[in-house]
Amino acid sequence: MDSSTVRIILLTIHVLFFIYAFSVIFSYVLLSFVSARESSQYMKRNSFVNYNEILSSTVSPSISIIAPAYNESLNIIENVRSLLSNHYVNYDVIIVNDGSKDDSLEKLIKAYDLVKVNYLINHQVPTKPLREGVFKSTNPAFEKLTVVDKENGGKADALNCGLNISQSKFVACIDVDCLLLEDALQKMIKPFLELTDVKVIASGGVIRIANACKIKEGKLIEINLPKKFIEIAQILEYLRSFLLGRMAWSRLNGLLVISGAFGMFDKKIAIDVGGYDTNTVGEDMEIIVRMRRSMEEQNIKYKVAYIPDPLCWTEAPDNYKILISQRNRWTRGTIEVLKKHRKIGFNPKYKFLGMLSYPYWFFYERLAPIIEIIGILYFIVLIALDNVKWDYAFAFFLAAYLFTIMFTIIAIYSEELTYHQYTKKGTGIKLLLVTLLEPFVLHPFILYAGIKGNIDYYFNKKIKWGEMKRKGLSKGESN
Amino acid sequence: MNDYQNILEYFNQLPVLVKLVWYVSFLLFIFILGLIFYLKILRNNLRENEKKRIKYQKIYEENLINYLYAGDGIEGISPEQRVFINNMKKDISNTFNRNVLISVMTKLVNDISGEIAQAIHKFYFETGLIDYSLLKLKARKWEIKAAGIHELTQFEVKQAYNEIEKLIKHPHKEVRNQAQLYLVNLFQFKGLKFLNDLTYQLSEWDQIQLLEILQKFDNQEITDITLWLKSNNLSVVKFALKLAKVYNQFESKETLLELLKHNNKEIRVETIKVLGYFYDTDSKEYLKSNFHDITEGEQIAFFKLLENIADQTDQHFIIVNISHPNFEIKLMALKILKNINQPKFNTLKLAENDIDVERIVEFIKNN
Repeated sequence: MDSSTVRIILLTIHVLFFIYAFSVIFSYVLLSFVSARESSQYMKRNSFVNYNEILSSTVSPSISIIAPAYNESLNIIENVRSLLSNHYVNYDVIIVNDGSKDDSLEKLIKAYDLVKVNYLINHQVPTKPLREGVFKSTNPAFEKLTVVDKENGGKADALNCGLNISQSKFVACIDVDCLLLEDALQKMIKPFLELTDVKVIASGGVIRIANACKIKEGKLIEINLPKKFIEIAQILEYLRSFLLGRMAWSRLNGLLVISGAFGMFDKKIAIDVGGYDTNTVGEDMEIIVRMRRSMEEQNIKYKVAYIPDPLCWTEAPDNYKILISQRNRWTRGTIEVLKKHRKIGFNPKYKFLGMLSYPYWFFYERLAPIIEIIGILYFIVLIALDNVKWDYAFAFFLAAYLFTIMFTIIAIYSEELTYHQYTKKGTGIKLLLVTLLEPFVLHPFILYAGIKGNIDYYFNKKIKWGEMKRKGLSKGESN
Repeated sequence: MNDYQNILEYFNQLPVLVKLVWYVSFLLFIFILGLIFYLKILRNNLRENEKKRIKYQKIYEENLINYLYAGDGIEGISPEQRVFINNMKKDISNTFNRNVLISVMTKLVNDISGEIAQAIHKFYFETGLIDYSLLKLKARKWEIKAAGIHELTQFEVKQAYNEIEKLIKHPHKEVRNQAQLYLVNLFQFKGLKFLNDLTYQLSEWDQIQLLEILQKFDNQEITDITLWLKSNNLSVVKFALKLAKVYNQFESKETLLELLKHNNKEIRVETIKVLGYFYDTDSKEYLKSNFHDITEGEQIAFFKLLENIADQTDQHFIIVNISHPNFEIKLMALKILKNINQPKFNTLKLAENDIDVERIVEFIKNN
């Protein structure tokens, strides 16, 4: 290979990197504008809504909250209490004890006066068999509660069991350790009831980080900013993702994922497409893609809605080991889902889903860590060969860094102008400081987790969920 | 000075692309500084506004309670109340104060009724708050219009009927929704007149809201819903079906029976549900004879109807449908059979390989 050929190859690589970086920035700017407009419209639209009228109505649709639990003994009583304290009238709670090895079931039986009942299950979606069976409370105060004890089959299998048990028209699938605000269900059900020109197939909620928040008897009492850098940095990540990214994709009706921590579905459609896929760790994303795909194939006008209100609070990893394990799983989930539904990608038959949502997800989520690591390795090689034009490099690094900072600050603005949850003095400064450091401190770990997720996906198929040790939400302190 | 010149020289000799990136970085840097600076101001303002809001909320709550206690128990306004009203008139020229006062009054008016609520309404008129609300109806922005209607609904201003009725066909959904709520809150069934020529679809959310408001009122004169049951607007028919059920409109039965042949599947299903609620037997034969031509949703609804009204004459039909592919229908068929003819149920010969039926029979026997 002569030197001119090498030069052409290098130039091509540079141009490709440049196009990729530029398109990422451009898409982020575009999404920011769309989300700003949508947030403003959402706030205006919902400022007059009287949710009480829906609460007490006898004709309001029924909702089942399905919460899979695996070895959640530490917090299960508190968590179920939180789920049972929702203000919506026509709902029930189905706890699926997915073969827990701890004393979760015994604790539930004792705390909620449960007895085993005869229950006829319509096995519309295949699941692992029941272990101890189905339990209901003898105490009328807990009549909304059903506990199902089954053999371990993973989260997706437990959710499918809940789908089979549920008698409701809608199901809200939630992680049992999440804390739901009391008005969560009526806000989530609203899009299903208010749109007349399209079929709403699912609605997703914002997930907020509850570390350091004060929680009493399953209720959120006080919102605090955590002290650890890793936790604050994740708050910023979530703000960017939920208030800017998903809000915009919702406006464009291009949402490909609804967080597994809290999402609501039209049960019939979820069952018709076969329920949750038990062979992926990205079951939350997979079911949405499959539902959307099914709607597109049937040529039905549909929407995946999104509710930006802070309705669901969860405990985020507070150490890097667990964070890496979580992000590793998210990466593997994304790869699995995109691979399974590759038919959609760049397929005009699937319209917006195939021509924009899927490609965006493929290039900017699936490939992002790979492209980034290739960029870093390439840069190291250039340094080793003493072939770096530092004036170029420094200028581009600085611009990329400043853009990242700006995007995060815009996410903070979005939060302040809408929900303004972190009201305490000094919080703004802390958020800004973490914003400045996050690209150097948190991001390398996220990148590492993304790369590890890719390696595990291709070379270590045995890995499934990974570990998430819970401290419990009730231990938050005031700042 | 020398350093500055060196930097400038260095910058000038850079390639255009790098220069451009530096310019962008510089702009981003300035923009970020501005954002940080304004974020500080914004957070301070939000905190201050919140404090101010809480302060004024407390003041207005106290003032309103004093105003209510200053009443002399007879119609009209006492001199002490007049003083409160005059003081408040000055305050409400400020938009912030006015919004806080409105929110306090709304909260209060939602929690109370009778004479006290009337006194609050009077306060709303006398302070001139009503003029601000009426003015909002003329605003260009939809959210201000909707807020105006909302306030007029809260304080039961019936005089705004003509203006708000015009907004029932407003292009913006929230304005239309507020106008509907106004009409029904203040005029109950008579307020539903807008359904007669409704051109847009009434969402399920709207329908539930309207129904809940209607149910708050006792002893209402219920309008004849036949016209709405025959409407070309599908959402109006669906809403009328809900009204038929909630208000036991059995007299509309003939129209309901006609709706069994409606070309919309959802309406047919809802109609069967309403007829089932009425324990109607006339629809039974029609649905039985057309059972194989109707959709699965209608079949399920029909079996729910049969759960209430099936008798021995339906036995053959029920037994045939025990082998229906739908689990829900199988379950209902077996339950109905047990109810109408237990000996037959007990001696039922089950189809081989139908595990579902075996499980259902076992379940019904044990419950």
